[in-house]
Order: sequence, then C-alpha cells, then structure tokens
Amino acid sequence: MTTTASPPALGRRDSAEPSGAPDEHQLEIERRRARRRQRSKNWSLFLLFAGPNILLILAFIYYPLAMNVWYSTLDWRLGAPSADPVGLANYQRFFTSPSGLEVWRVTGIFTFGAVAGSMVLGLLIALVLNKKIPGRTFARTAVFSPYVLSGVGVALVWMFIFDPQRGALMHILNRFGIDSPQWFLDPDANLWMVIIVYVWKNLGYCAVVFLAGLQSIPRDLLEAATIDRAGPVRRFFSVVLPLLTPTVFFLLVTNIIFSMTNAFDILRVMTPTGNGTNTIIFEIYLQSFGQFNRAGYSAAIAVVLFLTLLIITAVQLRFVERKVHYQ
Amino acid sequence: MKHPSITRTWKGIAVFSAAALAVTACGPDTGGGDAAEEGEETDWSEVEPADSIVFATNHPGGSEDLEDELIEQFTEETGIEVEVITSGANYEETSQWFQTGGGSNADVIVLSDATWFPNYLNGALAPVDELLEAADVDVSGYVEALYEDYLYEDNHYGVPYARSTPLFYYNVEHFEEAGVDAPPQTWDEVAEIAQTIVDEGVASYGYAFPPSNEYPAWGMANLVWGYGGGWSDEWDFSAVSSDETVEAIEFAQNGVQEGWANVAATSQTDDFASGVASMTIQSTGSLGGILEAADFEVGTAFLPDGPAAEGETPTGGAGLMIASASSPEEQLAAAMFAAHMTSAESQAIFSAGTGYVPSHQDADMSEVYQERPQFETAVDQLERARVQDYARVFLPGADLELAETLQSLLTSDADVREELERVQAEFEDLYESDLADELE
Repeated sequence: MTTTASPPALGRRDSAEPSGAPDEHQLEIERRRARRRQRSKNWSLFLLFAGPNILLILAFIYYPLAMNVWYSTLDWRLGAPSADPVGLANYQRFFTSPSGLEVWRVTGIFTFGAVAGSMVLGLLIALVLNKKIPGRTFARTAVFSPYVLSGVGVALVWMFIFDPQRGALMHILNRFGIDSPQWFLDPDANLWMVIIVYVWKNLGYCAVVFLAGLQSIPRDLLEAATIDRAGPVRRFFSVVLPLLTPTVFFLLVTNIIFSMTNAFDILRVMTPTGNGTNTIIFEIYLQSFGQFNRAGYSAAIAVVLFLTLLIITAVQLRFVERKVHYQ
Repeated sequence: MKHPSITRTWKGIAVFSAAALAVTACGPDTGGGDAAEEGEETDWSEVEPADSIVFATNHPGGSEDLEDELIEQFTEETGIEVEVITSGANYEETSQWFQTGGGSNADVIVLSDATWFPNYLNGALAPVDELLEAADVDVSGYVEALYEDYLYEDNHYGVPYARSTPLFYYNVEHFEEAGVDAPPQTWDEVAEIAQTIVDEGVASYGYAFPPSNEYPAWGMANLVWGYGGGWSDEWDFSAVSSDETVEAIEFAQNGVQEGWANVAATSQTDDFASGVASMTIQSTGSLGGILEAADFEVGTAFLPDGPAAEGETPTGGAGLMIASASSPEEQLAAAMFAAHMTSAESQAIFSAGTGYVPSHQDADMSEVYQERPQFETAVDQLERARVQDYARVFLPGADLELAETLQSLLTSDADVREELERVQAEFEDLYESDLADELE
C-alpha cells in the first residue's frame, strides 16, 4: 500500500485574512525543510557515487600537481631532507639558460617532425586502405599493429636496424653505394632517428582515425563532384579534405600532446643520455632521475610542460576549431 | 549582513591555505635546517646487534642466487635474519629508489661509485669506520683503492662489494693475422698495432672507443692519466683542460680521424665481439658476456701505459652502504652483514659467479683462473687500481657532460682545448650551483 501526502495548498498571502497568516508561515517553513532535505539527500547521493572518485582524483592528480608546483619553487636535490626556496629562479633558468633553450629547439623539431610525419603519411595510407584492394583487412591490421606494441620493444628492434656497422639499413644503403649515417653518434641524426621511429609507431593510429573519417564522407557528394567532372585531386582538396577537417583537428590536438608526452620510452631506450634528443619530457627525467638530481628544477620544467599543453589546446580550441567544417 | 563575494573570497583563501599547508607538510624542510647535522656519538661497546635487518640490492651481475646463498651462511653464523628487497634493475634505479624514500626501511644498500655521493649529501649514509671496528672487521684486507673509493672528509661510507675495473681486450686471431705477437703495453703501441690491422685489412678498425652511453669518462680515464692529465684534482677542475688532458684527447681524436679507431655506435663490446674492431677497453664485468658472444679467442691485458704514467685503472662497480636512519643495533648488524658479504671467502664465491673482481686481497680465485685465464689479468691489474677523479663520480651531471663532449670530440675535428675549457667552466658552474653551499 502506498500513501501520498497531498501537497500543501499554495496561494497568495492575504493580509486581509490574519487568521491564515500562521498557516502560510508554517507552510513556508515546511517547504524550506523539504528543500533542505532534498538538497541533503542529493548531496548524500552525490558523495556516495562521486565521492570515492573525487577522493582518488584529488589524491593522485591534484595533490601531486600541487606538490609539483611547490617543488618547482625550491632548490632541491632529489631525496634531500631540506631545500631552499628560490621563487621563480628555476623557471628563469629554464627559459634563459642555453641548455633550456636547446630543449625548446629539440622539442619543436621533434613535435613538428612527429606530428607532420604521422599525419601526412597516416592520411596517405588511409586513402590507400579506403580503396577496395586485395588483402585490405590484413593491411589495415598490419598498419595499426605498431601502435599497440611496447615502445621499448620497438626501440630495441629499430636500434638493430639503424646500427651503422651491422644494421639492416646499413646493408640497404650500401647496396646503393651510400654510407650509413652515424645515427647514434651525431646529435642531429640522433633526433631524426627517433622521429622516424616515433612516426612509424604512431602511423597506424593516424591512419585508422583518418580511415574512419574518410568512411563517414557521404558518397553522394563524391559522386556529384565526379559528375561535375572533378578529377581525383580536385575531389580530394575540394570535397574530401574540407569534410575531414574535424578528423584533422582531432588528430592535430592529440598528436601534439602525445608527441610531447608519450615518446619517453623510445627516447630513453635509443638515446639513454639524451644526446640531441632531450625533448621537454625527456629533460624532466634527465634533470631529476638522471645524473643531475635536480628535483626542483625538474618540477619547474614539468609545470612548464603542463602549461604549454594547456595553452596549445586552448589556442587550438579557440582558433583552429573555427575553421573546422562539421557536416 | 555579509557580502556573498567576500564570504566566497574568505572561503577560497581558507581552502587554498589548507591545501598549501597540506602540500608543504609532506615535502622537504624549507626552514633552513642543516640536514647533515651530526647525531650523538654512540658507545658501540654497549650496543647489541639487531635480530633482523633489511638488505636492498639490485643483485649486481645477476647475483640473486649467490646473494641468497651468502645470506643463508650469514644467518647460520650469527642468527641475524636478513630480509632482501630488490631495489631496481641497475645501480641508477637503486639510487633513485633510495633517494625517493622507497628504501626508508633499508639498513644495507648497494650503491655504485657514481651514485653513493648524492646519498651521502642527503645525510642518508652512516660513516662505517667505527661500525666496522665495533664489528671486528679488519679493513686492511680490502684492495686499498677499492676501499678508498668511499673515503670523503676522513670517513668511509661503504665497503667494496661488486667491484669492477676497465680491462684491455684484444682479438687474438686478428693479432695473428696481422703478424702481431703480443698485446700492446703503451698507447703508442695501441695506435701502431691498430694501424697495422686496418692496413692489412684484418678488421674495419683496430680499436673501438666507447660511445656516450658507455661511460667514456671511466673507460678513457686510463688514457688521460697516462698522459699526466685528469678530469679534476679533488674540487679543482683545471685538470680537465690542462695540456696533458688536451694531448690525451687529441691522441684519441687523431686515432678516429686517421681511421685506426672508431667510436662504437651503441657499445664497444658489440663492435669488439662482432669483429668490427680488434681491441677495446671495457669493464671486467663484461668478460663473461664477451667470451660468450665472441667466436674467436679473446685475449686480455693490462690497460696501456701513457708517456707520463704506468697504466693505471680506474675503480668502478658498487659497494655496500649502511643507512644513517637505522638504529645503532641495526647498524651494527648491518656492519656485520657487510663484512660477511665482503670477506675473502664470500668475495671468492661472488666474483666467480658474477665476473666482478674480488674486493678482498685474500680471495682464492685459482679455480676461476683455470676456467677463465683471462680473469687473472683483471685481478692482477688491481695493483694498479686508482680512485676516480671527483669530477666524474661526485659532481652531479659532470660525467654526462664529459661523455657527450668526448663523443663529440672524437667524432669531429672540433678544437679539443676550446671544448675542454668549456667543460671546465661548466664544471665550475655545476659545482657553484649544486654543491658549493653544502661542502664549504
């Protein structure tokens, strides 16, 4: 059996009926109590369901983040029980020292090479895989599989390939009478070597996302363009590419973030001392856990990386998204 | 009535202050306290060893089973239980783990020649001299240079455990093919033999120098010392750009430019074991791996002499350190344990099983010599062991700076003096910014 309480009668307070005033007042109190109970119930439910997650996020994301910001203001050797507050000196050092500026140069080249290489080659592969070619499913799997491989394993295999004395690439180049570059000894070659490996590993991700974008383009638009006698190149630039801009935009944002944060395993294995490959994420490691043991300085670089990614994402959302064509 | 925005502001300030307090409560002390303050002196005659201790190790040279065996012996002899913690895959990881608080309950820690000093600066290591005396350990049995590695400011901070030195390796078959009948004794002979090997077409290179990731400042210390130079003289860094050091590095640079030597791409061990280069210098700890990988007869020799000095060999590897945070009882038990692990008998077992050189002079290695005669050279060479220069092992980041500079110089025609003067200035900056305040 259920009982339902009849809602309190709502009406305007009439000053000409003084006898009704206490009832109205009582009703208002009851309504407030009911609202408070409802609010309290909502809060309890919210805390019950979201509370544990919020606590975990606070403990494992925001607390370390806040700690890191504080560490970035200290002159602190890793593990030392005491540290000297130095204000913004660590930031100043990173933005003005030759080694700090070198990190920006290397990060810029690596990010540009990795993002442009992955996206351009990924798009070309997606265009091929979008055709009805024999073995298409196998080819799609083969292209995507490096993306899910361990970065450490990928780096180790590529080290054998790039070895200028014994590597597969050396043998191929020798067949054409070309000497292998000193991939591991020359800092510039070192950087291009890790860009190539990163692009190879990341290509599948871009290709698959582009493929999904290509398959969502309505066929009637392409057919209409063909009827209007637009060639394949014209169809690509006038129909396909504009309709792919949401995909391009998505990949641009994610690839920039990934290339600045996810390349650590390849860099660490292929170039352990960071000879010419000290991108910002690798520099954080080298400065704190490498030989320098500068926990405070390293924390400052981590904060700079966080803010850099925040700004890049905000700028992209603010300006680039305007040029995106959604269907 | 309170203005709502003011209330929100105060709430915000309160939340921010609480968060800031919570954050700063868990970090390092920023109140200007001296972390390395001396504790009260302990009367060790009144201290009884603890019943159990914790041993943090990366099992150097794949020694997990050997360590278990030695620990079992120790527990049988003393009744002290030892809990083993694997603290990383290598020396760097072990030090990171200890520095970041993972090893807060460890009593004995394996730390390398290049990683113990930051832990000393953090006040995390106990001086062992009095402890070893209390545990009745005769330290004169250790190979002197290996024990002196842990000496700083009149105190030792460890005992030599898994120790290694660089060793000279040569390809016996290449030597025979080139008509060379004995290994080189000087660096000039290295150049001469290497040139002959290349001229005769026996190998692509006569000698392989280490790349930056193979600690070239360690492997090339012998060359630099042989010319009378060095990386530093304690905290005086002028040695790194002295005429003698410049001359030594120019010798190596000329070798690469003349074609009798190369800088290995990933490891000089690979170039040597695959026959690309006929001679190299690599750790004694790599002997087993080289013998396994090479399909030719491997010869070993003392490190070459230079024009100014006999072929001195820099020390390397790891020692056993005792945590300053442990109680006196645990420290005494830890000292007894460290003494057991580095005794003549234990070192003979450990060295035979891992390839590290025995740190105790009385270790009987005769069985190992029968099986691997090349190892005898490594042990005999300990007579020429020399403690490493401060710049390489004590100055944070200096070894990396040297490694990258040496690789750059050897693979280019850059001006050696100019580059080494830049390195000296860099060392002085590193010292001023990272160490001077604490050491002076």
